[in-house]
Amino acid sequence: MSDFKESGFMYAMAAFIIGFIVIESVFFMVKAWKRAKQLGISKETLKNTVISAALFTIAPAISILATVLVLSSALGIVLPWIRLSVIGNLAYETVAASTMLEQFGANINIEVTDPEQFSAVMWVMTVGTSFALFLVPIFCKFIQKKIGGMVSKSEKNSKLADNVSAAAFIGIIAAFIAVSINGKSSDGTSDAGFMSIATLVSAMVIMLVLEGICHKYSLKKLEMFALPISIFAAMGVCILLTVALPESVTSFTWWGGAAA
Amino acid sequence: MSKGLKTKTERQYTDKVHTWGRIWTVGALLVLLSLPFGFSVYYSAWPEAKTVFSALSKVILIYWTTAVIEVITYTPMLGAGGTYLSFVTGNITNLKLPCGLNAMEKANVKPNTEEGEVITTIAIGSSAIATTIIIAAGVLLFSPVLPVLRESPTLRPAFSYVTSALFGALGASYFRKHWKISIFPIVVGVIVLLFAPTLGVGTLMFITIVAAVAGALVMIKLNFVK
Repeated sequence: MSDFKESGFMYAMAAFIIGFIVIESVFFMVKAWKRAKQLGISKETLKNTVISAALFTIAPAISILATVLVLSSALGIVLPWIRLSVIGNLAYETVAASTMLEQFGANINIEVTDPEQFSAVMWVMTVGTSFALFLVPIFCKFIQKKIGGMVSKSEKNSKLADNVSAAAFIGIIAAFIAVSINGKSSDGTSDAGFMSIATLVSAMVIMLVLEGICHKYSLKKLEMFALPISIFAAMGVCILLTVALPESVTSFTWWGGAAA
Repeated sequence: MSKGLKTKTERQYTDKVHTWGRIWTVGALLVLLSLPFGFSVYYSAWPEAKTVFSALSKVILIYWTTAVIEVITYTPMLGAGGTYLSFVTGNITNLKLPCGLNAMEKANVKPNTEEGEVITTIAIGSSAIATTIIIAAGVLLFSPVLPVLRESPTLRPAFSYVTSALFGALGASYFRKHWKISIFPIVVGVIVLLFAPTLGVGTLMFITIVAAVAGALVMIKLNFVK
């Protein structure tokens, strides 16, 4: 029974689960779209939001797709496809699957051929990563009210509110920048070093140049594409550097391990 | 629309979002659990509870602690609709959150306003659908090719450092406008990683947000930032 991983049953489950997610997304988008029109937000802004979000998604989604295919060698294509289309994320699913398979003396590089092992992996992936779905319905409203209340009060001084709000966003981005500068990945495949910093700096420079061009020549359409272009161009720089520079340079990381 | 009427309508809309969100989230939980449950029933493949709990005990401590931090950290940023959608569709840190932030920046709206709420919801919904389509198309069309691409020594670094590219590009816009308050949280993040290099980004983010907000408040107090 080695094809249970890609059986009709699994594909039917994939259609059911992914279909649910798409319907939920459409439902919230329709409601938000109607409300946005009532609020007087222009149709063009809303359309731009949809297009820009979809474009923004391309590079990370390709990266997610690559992970689906990597996991597929052990788990078949359907389970990683389901998990990474829904609640999953790149790191959690791999760690959950590896941890469960280790209990059976197996690992993520070997094909799972026992349905019980496969079932165990699904249980660990699902239960392990679903806790937030218990928390969100209970605490979302409370957290929103508390934080919203704080922001409303600070809006008496809108400059202060602007700066605090921007600082919170910058705090999020700063964590990822710091990880790119000197972070260490749990599996050692993306430790910070020469390549991570080169990619980071390339993306920043390209984005600033594109924004400058858009601003100088009033190119509103290009502005929408500035972010995805910068992401892909930085990835392109990363590939070029890998080809052009000696491996001793490109594989340099602060933590001593060989990077990807 | 008068201010009083608008506030009432806003409250009604936000309350409705929470009601819808709760229903959809509970539904999603049941749908997700239907996969291992359905498989176990269909193939009569029930794993030993002891073995599953043993593996779960190793991941739950990290995952569930991170879940608490993520819910507290992301909820104010994503808005109500964005939060309910993001936690069901996943890939928050590497996709939904930066996507929502970018959408608000582009539409020139602020978080914790109703305009911010609807824009993030539309952006995150759009991103979730785009992700689903790209992954489904990729699985069906490119599965024979992509493992080779992913394993290619030349292309692999580009995939490994996609978050560096993503946050470098996103950060550039913010840092240009708010460079004075940007340096401190990055320095704090780098110092923390010197001592705990494998610290999860969810936990690190909590620290850098506190550092960024505290740093900004001090600079405003000292009139360094106006």
